[in-house]
Amino acid sequence: MTFGGLAAWQAWLLLGAAAAAAAWLFLLKVRPPRVIVPSLLLWRKVLDEAREQTLWERIRRAVSLAVTILIAVALAAAIARPSRQVRAASSASARAPRVLIVLDSSWSMLGRTRSGETRWERAVAEARRVAAGAAGSDIAIATTAEGLVEGPTADLSSIDTALDRLQPAGSTASGWPRLSGAEVHFLTDGAVARALDSAVVLHSVFEAADNVGITAFDVRPALDGTDSDEAYVEIGNFGPAQNVRITMTRGAQSLIDRRADMAAGDALRQVVTLPRGGAADLRVRIDAPKDSLPADDEAFGWIEASRPLLVTVVSSQPSWLAPVFAATPGIRAVTISPAGYRPGDENIVIFDRTVPPTPSAKPALYIAPPAGAWVGSTPDRLEPKPQWTTPAAHPLLAGVDPFTFSIERARIYEPAKFTAIARSAAGTPLVWAGDDPGRARAAILAFGPGDSNLAAAPAFPVLIGNAIDWLARPAAPGARRIGRAAFDASVLRVIGPGNVGLPVIQIPGERVAMLRSPGLYTAEAAASRTTFAVNIADPDVSNLSRSTIATSQATVAVGEGISPRPWWLYLIALAFAAVLVEWWTWLRRITV
Amino acid sequence: MPLRFQDDFLKKLEYLHVVSRREFAGQNRADRRTPKRGRGIEFADHRPYTPGDDFRHIDWNTYRRLNRLLLRMFDEEQDLPIYLVLDVSASMAEPSKFDMARRLAAALCYVGLAHLDRLTIITFTKGLAHESSPGRGKGKIFRVFDLLEKMEAGGPTDLRASCKEFAARSRQIGLTVVISDFLDSTGADVGLKILRTLGHDVFAVHVTSRADRDPGAFGDARFVDAETGELRDLEVTPRLADAYMQAWEKHTEELVRFCGRYGIGYVRADAERPFEEIVLKAFRQGRFLA
Repeated sequence: MTFGGLAAWQAWLLLGAAAAAAAWLFLLKVRPPRVIVPSLLLWRKVLDEAREQTLWERIRRAVSLAVTILIAVALAAAIARPSRQVRAASSASARAPRVLIVLDSSWSMLGRTRSGETRWERAVAEARRVAAGAAGSDIAIATTAEGLVEGPTADLSSIDTALDRLQPAGSTASGWPRLSGAEVHFLTDGAVARALDSAVVLHSVFEAADNVGITAFDVRPALDGTDSDEAYVEIGNFGPAQNVRITMTRGAQSLIDRRADMAAGDALRQVVTLPRGGAADLRVRIDAPKDSLPADDEAFGWIEASRPLLVTVVSSQPSWLAPVFAATPGIRAVTISPAGYRPGDENIVIFDRTVPPTPSAKPALYIAPPAGAWVGSTPDRLEPKPQWTTPAAHPLLAGVDPFTFSIERARIYEPAKFTAIARSAAGTPLVWAGDDPGRARAAILAFGPGDSNLAAAPAFPVLIGNAIDWLARPAAPGARRIGRAAFDASVLRVIGPGNVGLPVIQIPGERVAMLRSPGLYTAEAAASRTTFAVNIADPDVSNLSRSTIATSQATVAVGEGISPRPWWLYLIALAFAAVLVEWWTWLRRITV
Repeated sequence: MPLRFQDDFLKKLEYLHVVSRREFAGQNRADRRTPKRGRGIEFADHRPYTPGDDFRHIDWNTYRRLNRLLLRMFDEEQDLPIYLVLDVSASMAEPSKFDMARRLAAALCYVGLAHLDRLTIITFTKGLAHESSPGRGKGKIFRVFDLLEKMEAGGPTDLRASCKEFAARSRQIGLTVVISDFLDSTGADVGLKILRTLGHDVFAVHVTSRADRDPGAFGDARFVDAETGELRDLEVTPRLADAYMQAWEKHTEELVRFCGRYGIGYVRADAERPFEEIVLKAFRQGRFLA
């Protein structure tokens, strides 16, 4: 027996003192009311007679005393929070000064066991027991998704609170949580293979369970050459043969509602053509009788092409740009003369050899802008035949071969708050990137089609594609996995399902957010937003009948049906029941 | 509490008189027959003339018929000695009980005074406490009222010692009325027996209250003996309360049985009952008043 709230000697002292105090208070009678009677003559006669007493009358006082002591001891024990000795092999050894409890937060931990609780609940209950068994030591709590989340601390209430708020997050942290000198307990179902140190005490909450899950889901352009998209869905049955209902909806429109008989271990794959137009959000759901993990029963997709980017080309000679946009799906380009341009609902503006008086409020690409106040140039500042040097690593220039550009002359700019990402051998900036927080992104190309072979250069479509992605899509589109996700540094806000904003952590060069549940998310930058889907879609997670824990490994098997509730709750309940018994005893006392 | 009675009640009392089952010699002329022959107006008997007898009592008509000198005898009518022995121990201190006892004493006094009986009011606790004779005649009732109103209850009860003390003084035997709750740890029967042995016609007026008969409440209580101050912590259960009430009934039955066996009149006066009902009904049913 160990105690979570107090040291053992303190706990036993408290229990003893509580029992003694209860007995003393019971025996220390409250001064009864004084009743003056004419004479005790008759009372003496009554009491001197051998009265017939029932068994209850004889034992009632003893029962009442026992119940009173029980109430006091139960309450004292609830304060001391007793627990059984941890059954780990290490618990028998000398107590470690530090204990690190790591919970596997993969989605498979949400698999429901035969006793009705999830693997996660079972793991949390085991974590509480391990923590209670290590009372007095510094204890830390970590998860495989979030790393260290609490401690090290000797305060068990903090540990309890941390365990209460933890939920499976489905991803893997950058590294295995470490705490120097700590005895490490890892509570896992073994669904995800991990290389563990031999000193780690493994607590297995694995229990094979039947499950059906969506193991893959994605939306992609159709491969048949049409401008439509297609959705690919894969469903795995990791249980017995059963009938599975599959529904797919696009916005409010139902695309599929069918039933399929799936054999044990069977995988069902289906491709659904998605014509252009219509809602962008796609949702797949499955229902099956033998299904232990609800989290993988739903998957989401976002049809990017259904929300094409609006590009406004401000140019008096736009014909050279038209072929580029015509070949790029998901982009709707509108050409307008410089005199007629007014900012509208476009996503990107391309200024072809023209420049507005002030920097555009929309993400903009300036191609060989004429000399102007804010670009910091004069007409006569040119570098003839500039030679490229190897450019800096930047998303704008990813995959761009600069040496395919043949440049006759480059204009020399000095725009404020722009960074030169490519220079000539003489040092003249050839490409500028503006990524000032609070302002729309912008890029400046120091040469235009009249100054170079820009329209014909093989690297030009790549450069334009990069520019569109960098300017208008601050986060990489497409499906993402649940867990920690990195975003572009320009992302200011990430909005999750239910229009709930997620905390975004800023680290050098990028932003990080924790995507905790499947659904559609939106990443917002200064003047742009990107929607993306987050799904589990992982056969390793959905297969709840498999565990990577080797049978040869020394593990602490976490028993079935273990209640996640701590002892002290039961002790409180016991004390309450004892109060009821005592109350009943009191009633019997005066109504017998 | 004032003990004064209403005039109409006093008139009712005047129609009553204390019944004595025996005749006792009195001191003064009154309207009660005595065993003495004397100067009454009620003819009783003849007896032979002896020298020295008063010539005025010779029945000359009988002499003429029988030629014998016979004296006419008349019943002597005198007053009745009535002793009201009132328990003023602490057990009587409960207001309703003590008031009932004093009012009964006052009523009996008035009945006696109205018939020129010779009253003596004696109070007792562990011995005789106070003795007073208000005199004769209805007019003395106010002295009785004053006397009773000034009485206070206190001290232990010892009826046996009190009766011994009563017997130790030379008194005319007569009617002795003991007004008490008879909660006497030394035993009330011995005292009553002493009075009976002295030749008194004894009446026991048993004054009770609800507190005597019923413990009243359940639960823990510290009972305090009003007379001795003895403490007793009791846990009164309904079963124990029943046992107490049975003990009280038994105590009362024993007292009634004792009184019946020794020819002692017994009247029970519950303090909760209307006073007039006790005087006009209970006392008459107990043949104490007529």
